[in-house]
Amino acid sequence: MSETPAKQTTRRPDWAALAIAVILAVVAAVVVWSTARQGGAASYARIGPTTFPYVIAGAFFILAIWTAFEAWRGDFPERERQEISPILWIVGGLAAQMLLLKTAGFSIATGLLFAATARAFGRGPLWKTIPLGTVLAYIVWVIFARGLSLSLPTGPLEHLLF
Amino acid sequence: MKKFLLATIVASVMAIPAFAADYKIMAPAAPGGGWDQTARSMQTALQDEKISGSVQVTNVPGAAGTIGLAQFVNQANGDPSQLLVGGYVMVGGILTNNSPVTLEQVTPIARLTGEYEVVVVPAASDIKDMAGLIAKLKADPGSVSWGGGSAGGTDHITAGLIAKAVGVDPTKVNYIAYSGGGEALAALLGNQVTAGISGYGEFSEQVKAGTLRLLAISSEQPVAGIDAPTFKQAGVDVAIQNWRMVAAAPGISAEQKAAILADIEKMAKSAAWQKILTDKGWENTYLAGDEFTAQLKKDTELTAGILKDIGLVK
Amino acid sequence: MTTFELLAHGLVVALQPMNLLYALIGVTLGTAVGVLPGIGPALTVALLLPVTYKLDPAGSLIMFAGIYYGGMYGGSTTSILLNTPGESSSIVTALEGNKMARAGRGGPALATAAIGSFVAGLLATIGLAFVAPTVVKLALSFGPAEYFALMVLAFMTVSAAFGESTLRGLTSLFIGLLLGLIGIDLQTGQARLAFGIPDLLDGVEVTTLAVALFAIGEALSVAATKGGDSTIQAIKGSVWMTREDWRRSWKPWLRGTAIGFPIGAMPAGGAEIGTFLSYSVEKQLTTKPEEFGNGAIEGVAGPEAANNASAAGTLVPLLTLGLPTTATAAIMLAGFQQFGLQPGPLLFTSNPQLVWGLIASLLVANLMLLVLNLPLIGLWVKLLTIPTPWLYAGILMFATLGTIGANPSTFELGLLLAFGLLGYGLRRFHYPIAPVVVGLILGPLAEQQLRRAVAISQGDPSALFHSWIAVVLWLLAAAAVLVPLYLRWRGKDKILSQLGGDED
Repeated sequence: MSETPAKQTTRRPDWAALAIAVILAVVAAVVVWSTARQGGAASYARIGPTTFPYVIAGAFFILAIWTAFEAWRGDFPERERQEISPILWIVGGLAAQMLLLKTAGFSIATGLLFAATARAFGRGPLWKTIPLGTVLAYIVWVIFARGLSLSLPTGPLEHLLF
Repeated sequence: MKKFLLATIVASVMAIPAFAADYKIMAPAAPGGGWDQTARSMQTALQDEKISGSVQVTNVPGAAGTIGLAQFVNQANGDPSQLLVGGYVMVGGILTNNSPVTLEQVTPIARLTGEYEVVVVPAASDIKDMAGLIAKLKADPGSVSWGGGSAGGTDHITAGLIAKAVGVDPTKVNYIAYSGGGEALAALLGNQVTAGISGYGEFSEQVKAGTLRLLAISSEQPVAGIDAPTFKQAGVDVAIQNWRMVAAAPGISAEQKAAILADIEKMAKSAAWQKILTDKGWENTYLAGDEFTAQLKKDTELTAGILKDIGLVK
Repeated sequence: MTTFELLAHGLVVALQPMNLLYALIGVTLGTAVGVLPGIGPALTVALLLPVTYKLDPAGSLIMFAGIYYGGMYGGSTTSILLNTPGESSSIVTALEGNKMARAGRGGPALATAAIGSFVAGLLATIGLAFVAPTVVKLALSFGPAEYFALMVLAFMTVSAAFGESTLRGLTSLFIGLLLGLIGIDLQTGQARLAFGIPDLLDGVEVTTLAVALFAIGEALSVAATKGGDSTIQAIKGSVWMTREDWRRSWKPWLRGTAIGFPIGAMPAGGAEIGTFLSYSVEKQLTTKPEEFGNGAIEGVAGPEAANNASAAGTLVPLLTLGLPTTATAAIMLAGFQQFGLQPGPLLFTSNPQLVWGLIASLLVANLMLLVLNLPLIGLWVKLLTIPTPWLYAGILMFATLGTIGANPSTFELGLLLAFGLLGYGLRRFHYPIAPVVVGLILGPLAEQQLRRAVAISQGDPSALFHSWIAVVLWLLAAAAVLVPLYLRWRGKDKILSQLGGDED
């Protein structure tokens, strides 16, 4: 509605969209491979546990071909310019939280996520935002873990006061 | 944001005195089913008898409890405050699902209750007794659809055993799996399946109200207060008990295990627990410590044989 | 007559000042926990149930009702303001609600959600009191075949959320269906597409996927474009609903209630399906189709009403048959059991006081929610005046908090990250997000029901059309596909492009 396919400027193979078509086809192949290994017992239903996976894999093949066709015609909408570094900051923040959660506890791990996200949007410096995020996360931890008995992982900071 | 936080702080301060979690019990099934009821009954008894200040129940449903079991083994390791409710269904589930995690990896504490399997039909059904159901099953096994819990569980095993005992190929049993007691019950009340097979507790209220007809029960002897013949009396040589147990986390010390054992023993002997057993119609089959561990091993071996017999495990 | 008397008695008890205070505390606590993405009403009630143990039965029941409604409303708030659905049944709310919030109309969106929830809760609770036995009969006549037809109807109407391209809408839907296959198959106990990873046997949690796709995917997308196209306007015009908003809201509220209540009463219905259907009905009936996808108030009013009505609907089988059909209903059973109640078909006759006390409590809690939340809307909307970096940092903090609280596993956070990247990729290439979540919810339900239906009939596919209910649902599903085609054939392209037809 707001964006119309800019057929004039993109009338050529859209390589990124073609890559999507390839990914869809690969996913379909993986589903078929995994389902074939699993084997099935159909019983009275005739529709066994493997039926739906095969149907969906088939649909993915069709979608892959359709996507390739539209990609070739350049039917995909235009995309905005993207910057990579903010994405890396956020992904890094989430990964850091995930890996540190069990050892460093909720507050420190989530503080890092907070700071990394702020950095992705151009706010810093980290030596200010990490403590800020940790304090905020700690307050959140106190409210939800202590006050509302939600089970949140603990670390050195949480053990300090409780 | 600040004001939101403030509001939550105010709210939480009001709530703080109510919480001091002592035990966290995992029911590896959807809320409402047998293990969930067991976990919540334990919660009530432990709190009412002041054995524990606060008990939390969490539900991790799926795959005859093996998903909950795997999660419990992974996450509760060495934590003496966490308990797992489980039962016979899990023994079968581990085998049929080829579960990488088994009951050998948890610390068994005690068998708490046993429940007998019953076969019911909707009140409107033209099947009047067990003989009628067997006749229909012999005539055309596929025409009898059995509604019960997840594939490979006690309900499924019992259906297979019944078929085998009356000379019908157990692999021909038309078993329809439902994810929880409530859903199977709805299918029965709506006349969607021929018969229901599950623990007596799941159907008792409906039987009392007369919306379901009780055909037979899987105990060795008739049970007082339950107006139905045993399978054996009805000419089906099957007796099976769906027991439920409580286990503690792997990797806890001997002292921690002893402390949990003492708490559970106190609970099992308490008036509150006895009342729950009576109310719910659960048989008290309490068996604790090493004796239970040995019994568990025996049951596991036996189940593996049964499942192979009826074709659920290759 | 006695019905009225019992309800009146229940209301008198519930309206005592102390009990009103309990209702207020319950609603506040419920909202506070319910706003966490990934923590829906069931978990909220489960977490907070111990609070109610200390009170007398009446106080306990009313606080419980407050927590329940608070937990539900909390989910809608984050959907609208932060595009982060708190639970699966408020996913649809995020579609239009967040667009409204971004255009400075967050106030009216929250207001129509709150008032719509109130209206729906009120009507549905009254419905519960007077037509429960009839509704439950209808609900029980739904067997696997009827459910499957209902799922097909829901699938057909999903195209309402497809957006500009059929190809990309279908691709999104099938991604969701594929994710729905992962895990142990209920009917045979076999693991599918789990690749030997035990954590995947559990399947993909709907809330994890929704939070990741909506909240994290969007944070990534906005950061990558440096906030280019998504300038947030916190407040534009009145914070309150205008006369126009009221005029456009009241019919969706009623229709949402009419759709949500019976679906909630069905043992395997689920609140989400009601919200999907309500959304597509509103999209078909609206006089301003151009606003759908850009913040149409009907798209918030209808699904929110449907959501609340279906919550009251789940009480129908619970109170009349003792059937807990949702996780929340099962938790409610635990609430009953602390008073020694054994829910079952005899509950209404054996414990009328308590049952009607509960119904009265629900009415009062519903009112309390409105009282608490309408004045707070101005405050909630100010959340959006927080500068973008801090807002998104906070959103990610709360999004992960919900996931960690519901299931504190590293694997789950890994899934959150992976699906967040998927959400970014989908946005980058203009794939719609909602169909992915819809596919994950509906796919497994549809598959199980189809396989049950065919197993019961021993492989006879005609069983799928064996009852008039099933046939009607199939016809509706066919109409959902054919009517737009017919309209296009008639040359009404304008309407059609809004109905999500393809542009080829």
